[in-house]
Amino acid sequence: MKSKIINMADKTSDAEDRLLKSVFDSAPIPDSGFSKKVVFKIRRRIWINRLALPVAAVVGAAFALKPATQLIVALLPLLDVVPIDIVSAPMQLLPQLQTIVLGGMMFAAGVTLFKIIEET
Amino acid sequence: MNNDQVLVARVVANQDSDAFGELVRRHQSQVRNFLRRLTRDESLADDLAQDCFLRAWDKIHTYSGTGTFIGWVLKVAYTTFLQSKRKDKRYGEILEQAGHEPRNNVHDVREEALDLDRLMAILSEEERVILIFSYACGLSHREISDATDMPAGTVKSIIHRAKEKIRTHFEIENYQHG
Repeated sequence: MKSKIINMADKTSDAEDRLLKSVFDSAPIPDSGFSKKVVFKIRRRIWINRLALPVAAVVGAAFALKPATQLIVALLPLLDVVPIDIVSAPMQLLPQLQTIVLGGMMFAAGVTLFKIIEET
Repeated sequence: MNNDQVLVARVVANQDSDAFGELVRRHQSQVRNFLRRLTRDESLADDLAQDCFLRAWDKIHTYSGTGTFIGWVLKVAYTTFLQSKRKDKRYGEILEQAGHEPRNNVHDVREEALDLDRLMAILSEEERVILIFSYACGLSHREISDATDMPAGTVKSIIHRAKEKIRTHFEIENYQHG
């Protein structure tokens, strides 16, 4: 008797489950370019992430270039207190300082770009 | 390792967007369907589905591989849904509307097909989510428990309570093998 009751309960439950499944059932949604859109957004995000640091470094360096040069020029008189033979070597390079800094930045940007192209 | 896990491994190891694209192609239907059922608004659901997959891309390294990948993605989809509901007023309004549709009197499924909208309207959000996970997505109680961070016992009792509500509201106790 008990098992009969359980069986009836199971049957009712099965019928309910089937009914609920049929209510919730739906045809598969066609992709219609959805996955392409997602992948496009992901690739764009990868590029943004890769470029963010080098671009920030270049922009930051560009902003810092002028004050940095002014600071160096301002500090130059202090070199008088340093013995002349120690100062002489950097003093010869100083007129080309901006070119050296710019060259360094371009080299760093080139290396980063090369790395990005290699990884892609 | 099943196919999904091979693709996940490729994504984690090489940031392989093609492999991830394949995962999206495989599971987009289920995720969009889940969100459409939850929000009852197609364009909102598709926006959320995109956000869900972008979030899945960011967090894919946290997928441990113990459960199914679709179970994990649906968890991400549910979290995305909850967060956007909190953040965006537009979503809140749509969902609010969805949850407060007019409740008709008792219906008989033998005379009138059990309508999903009416069914959803009598359930609480928690019950809706769990029934959708169970009947629309086919997740096991264990997977639902993982996705919702609820104990499996609570999931079972919510399903039981929701079915009881449906039974009372739609008089389906006499319904046999529809």
